[in-house]
Amino acid sequence: MFSKVLIANRGEIAVRIIAACRELGVATVAVHSEADRECLHVKLADQSVCIGPASSEGSYLNVSSVMAAAEITGAEAIHPGYGFLAENAHFAEVISECGLTFIGPTADAIRLMGDKAQARRSVAAAEVPVVPGSERALASRDEALDLARVIGYPVILKASAGGGGRGMRLATRDEELRAAFDTARSEAEKAFGDDSVYLEKYLERPRHIEFQVLADSRGRVIHLGERECSIQRRHQKVIEESPSVALTPELRAEMGHAAVAAARAAKYLNAGTVEFLLAEDGSYYFMEMNTRIQVEHPVTELVTGVDLVKEQLRIAAGEPMSIPKRRQVVATGHAIEFRINAEDPTTFAPSPGRITHLSLPGGPGVRVDTHLYSGYTIPSHYDSLMAKLLVWGEDRDEAIVRGRRALEMFRVEGVKTSIPLHLKILDEDDFRAGRLSTHFMDRYAQ
Amino acid sequence: MFKFDEICELIRLVASTGVAALEIDHGGSKLRIDGVPSVVFADAPAAAAAAAAAPRPAAGPAPGSAEALAAADEGLHWVASPIVGTFYRAPNPDAEPYVKVGDIVHEGQTLCIVEAMKLMNEIESDVAGTIVKVLPDNAQPVEYGERLFAVRPA
Repeated sequence: MFSKVLIANRGEIAVRIIAACRELGVATVAVHSEADRECLHVKLADQSVCIGPASSEGSYLNVSSVMAAAEITGAEAIHPGYGFLAENAHFAEVISECGLTFIGPTADAIRLMGDKAQARRSVAAAEVPVVPGSERALASRDEALDLARVIGYPVILKASAGGGGRGMRLATRDEELRAAFDTARSEAEKAFGDDSVYLEKYLERPRHIEFQVLADSRGRVIHLGERECSIQRRHQKVIEESPSVALTPELRAEMGHAAVAAARAAKYLNAGTVEFLLAEDGSYYFMEMNTRIQVEHPVTELVTGVDLVKEQLRIAAGEPMSIPKRRQVVATGHAIEFRINAEDPTTFAPSPGRITHLSLPGGPGVRVDTHLYSGYTIPSHYDSLMAKLLVWGEDRDEAIVRGRRALEMFRVEGVKTSIPLHLKILDEDDFRAGRLSTHFMDRYAQ
Repeated sequence: MFKFDEICELIRLVASTGVAALEIDHGGSKLRIDGVPSVVFADAPAAAAAAAAAPRPAAGPAPGSAEALAAADEGLHWVASPIVGTFYRAPNPDAEPYVKVGDIVHEGQTLCIVEAMKLMNEIESDVAGTIVKVLPDNAQPVEYGERLFAVRPA
């Protein structure tokens, strides 16, 4: 095991990594920007180094500053957390060139999974289902029509150069597709200066189902079950849970197998997440692989009892994962995570500021991962996640009841929080019945 | 007890706002900072801070106290490290330091080296004046924004 690890991150995930290091007897180095001198991870780490100004570009995203901090403190390995440099292949490369260890996958795996088209090709070659579509630009309207008849309506046209919804057109039958093809092309031309469009099967109310995987240097790759993250707003997850009510044991086994195949295709090492879209008819499609520890990893920890961050450290140190070989990872009970953000619960506007009073919930089945303390000022330079409230129950109903009481016992004064939003979601019939899709949050959209 | 940093911050506040004096009574520790230099420069900030933190009557300037520090630090320019790294006073272990206390430096003159990732970054003075203090020890790690030199501008 390493004797000293530098944490190239801030906030709650830095605190989470410090916890894992302490339990393994590993010394920690916190890095921080000028705006984060009072952040909890700086206070809890064994050493700290100020690496730059408040702006992330000059500090948490600055590879040479992070490396210089590792150098002056004698750290042997660097944990990137999530966000910032976590999925930066160059960073992983520099770390190994300097003779240190990156706690994560190889630079090659990061690069492969970071390129959407390449990732799609490599997992498809491993027989993992991908969303049916043209993959490349369509030459003509007739080609679009032929393909749509093969894969089945509805279909969506997307600009090859695009993003942000521009150049996207939905079609449910031939006549619509004929008209949409020309509109999508001219929109794409106007928006991106490139009129090429491709076509994909459109999933109407998909669920976001992701599988946690772990791979060690002994060639062992396992999955630790799914997390349902369908409740999201602008691709930001709001509530995550495990298990998903939508998965039968057979489907779980099949998707888990696909997740392991996707990880193997990337010669994956360490912790990662394979994201799928699950259609209402039970068909599922690979979306992408996240080559890092994720915000919602504690959901899996609560139902499996596996400490994922400690496993990350063991794997990076060249040790085998600590889960006994012949033991299947068994999930028990039900876990839900609520992301508590410093934001207005109705307008979603960020609400940085000073925490004047804080009282955290506890009791059976409650876990809070946070960097908050009373008197702490949440800076405006970084994301608004201030705490993750997790609850565990024997079943989903108990987890929901426990979630409600824990949210009610979570007291923060000084900033606005998303707690009222979570309480509102818990009251929704659709949520209680588990009728979820990635459109769930549309009902609150501004 | 007032911390040294806090006292420095208050001195800067007094200097920048131009108020005549600032008096604080905090947990039995009393501190008074006059906006107009009333004592000639004293180069003993540590002693001054200790004196300032000790409980004493509020009124009246005391020699060697915060007022002296205020005067000592007033008008000083701090050269801070623009990067994380290791501080070196000389270009190589056998060479003379780039600068010593009392040296007169011009703007753009190299004051030291901060080594980061095997790169020797020469740190230049951004002001002309006299070196009053060298803060880190040679070969000591320094953080981003850490004060390296105090320069009294010419």
